[in-house]
Amino acid sequence: MSAQPAMLLELKGVETYYGSIQALKGISIEVREGEIVTLIGANGAGKSTTLRSINGLNHPRKGTISFQGRDITHDAPHSIVKRGIAQSPEGRKLFPRMSVTENLEMGAFQRSDRGAIREDMERVFTLFPRLAERRTQKAGTMSGGEQQMCAIGRALMARPTLLMLDEPSMGLAPIFVERIFETIVEVNKQGTSILLVEQNALMALHVANRGYVLETGTVALADDAKALAQNPQVRKTYLGEI
Amino acid sequence: MATHAHTEVSLRRRRSYSSYVMPAVATLLVALLIAWLVVNFVKGPAYFVTIGFIGLTNGALYALVALGYTLVYGILELINFAHGDVFMLGGLFSATMLLSVFHLHAHASTLALVAAIVGSLLVAMAACGILNAAIERVAYRPLRGAPRVAPLITAIGMSFILEDVAIGWKGPGYTAVPSLLPTGPVFSVAGITYTWEKLIVVMITAPVLLLLVWFVKQTRQGKAMRATAQDRDAAAMMGIDVNRTISFTFILAGALAGTGGLVYALYFGQIRYDTGYQIGLIAFTAAVLGGIGNLPGAVLGALLIGFIQSFNEGLLWHAPGSDWTESIVFSILILILVFRPEGLLGERTPEGA
Ligand SMILES: Nc1ncnc2c1ncn2[C@@H]1O[C@H](COP(=O)(O)OP(=O)(O)O)[C@@H](O)[C@H]1O
Ligand SMILES: [Mg+2]
Repeated sequence: MSAQPAMLLELKGVETYYGSIQALKGISIEVREGEIVTLIGANGAGKSTTLRSINGLNHPRKGTISFQGRDITHDAPHSIVKRGIAQSPEGRKLFPRMSVTENLEMGAFQRSDRGAIREDMERVFTLFPRLAERRTQKAGTMSGGEQQMCAIGRALMARPTLLMLDEPSMGLAPIFVERIFETIVEVNKQGTSILLVEQNALMALHVANRGYVLETGTVALADDAKALAQNPQVRKTYLGEI
Repeated sequence: MATHAHTEVSLRRRRSYSSYVMPAVATLLVALLIAWLVVNFVKGPAYFVTIGFIGLTNGALYALVALGYTLVYGILELINFAHGDVFMLGGLFSATMLLSVFHLHAHASTLALVAAIVGSLLVAMAACGILNAAIERVAYRPLRGAPRVAPLITAIGMSFILEDVAIGWKGPGYTAVPSLLPTGPVFSVAGITYTWEKLIVVMITAPVLLLLVWFVKQTRQGKAMRATAQDRDAAAMMGIDVNRTISFTFILAGALAGTGGLVYALYFGQIRYDTGYQIGLIAFTAAVLGGIGNLPGAVLGALLIGFIQSFNEGLLWHAPGSDWTESIVFSILILILVFRPEGLLGERTPEGA
């Protein structure tokens, strides 16, 4: 076991509600340093709610969440970002009346190293040349694919230890999907751990180290990504095989 | 089926009817307004410009208060009905500071006057900023997740409470401030006179407005405000302390109201518990006219209403007069809400301006 990398993020028995509706019924997942971990599952299974529990926007009523050994279960969202967790949320949530550059700047809000921020912005523009062409365009007026790149770039601007991506390939043309997954692998190679929520289970399991299958607020399966991709039940339900 | 088809046809007819008639009526009204202004100008150009200066001065004052409505609306989508009353209390704080702390009187030296104004301004800004943030903390924040009408009702409640506080403190009558500002002419050219007290009002308001615009555009805190206004959850995900940013917005809005209170006390010389209601209504209309949530819009709306009011009350040829000012302001409010709810500078975006 000593060969295993250190624990980065650990959820234990997390139960999260929307008012009186219970969305998570005891979720336990973990992400280790340097890993790409994917959450897959049908619509409404609780994938986005899991990310909202981690980022502090919807605190769990039961269970604990720890990051780098620290309990962050009830921390405010902004202090969780400071600890090193950034994300590209479901629906992208860009600042629609800010330019691409301004959105990227907002991603680096909690940083003060101006020089490095500028470098990181150039890195994002190298990663997504399409964004570089649209630096001054208002984010709300861009296409879905461009907005997705901007949302991922904005999350990268935080220089996170853990990057959470909620359906980054949603509604994108295949060529963009490919580009996004390449980026995920590249960012991971540079040392960022990744928690990836995807509808596109095939692609997600292809790039991930491990995966969890969520079903109505619980973890139905947890395994190595390769094993999950071979699992007959997974193949049938999520990879569209009969 | 037949009735359904019939309704659809009549609806379509009504829409095409209104799409011709309304612009025509609007154009006619604007043409009449311009004609009225031109005739008044021709009959007495110097007098017209002098009245215009009054409008500019009032407009600058309204802008200070209108910005508070628009800042808070921009970030919480809440109409802070208590805002006018914070302004009124700012006026009472200022009057108290000027008279009881600095012991100013009509023949004070320029130095004493400037020192007293700056001192009172800082106190009024701080007091109103803190008061406004406290109102948000106790009356609005606990209702953050509640239906929108709930904080609206507590806002109206806060308005009554603040007026009662003012009555308890100063009584129902006016608190008078003797005219402290010099009223001599700054210049007098071709019958047009511009007086010192009007210039002083602009000298206090203009830097405050410019500072605000710079602040919101350029500073880290200003960017946090804009981000929170556009998407509160996303702002939190960027590491912005959303609650602190909202508190800060209320402090800023309160400080502007405090500035407005001081200017009002100095310029109009009397203030009482219901002054905030009248000025608040005018300033709120100005904010809606410019496009609520839009900072330059609030200033533009305030200046326009300042001119409308001064021309209505001051011009000699066929002006409705001061009895009609409130009705005119209310009519403008209704017309904007019906025909251009996003205001003059607001954007027609799905998620609001
Ligand atoms: N804002 C909300 N209010 C009430 N219920 C919600 C809300 N968001 C999600 N839910 C419910 O929580 C459950 C999990 O949703 P979600 O986490 O968005 O699923 P997924 O991301 O896997 O599609 C679903 O049953 C959904 O209907
Ligand atoms: Mg989801």
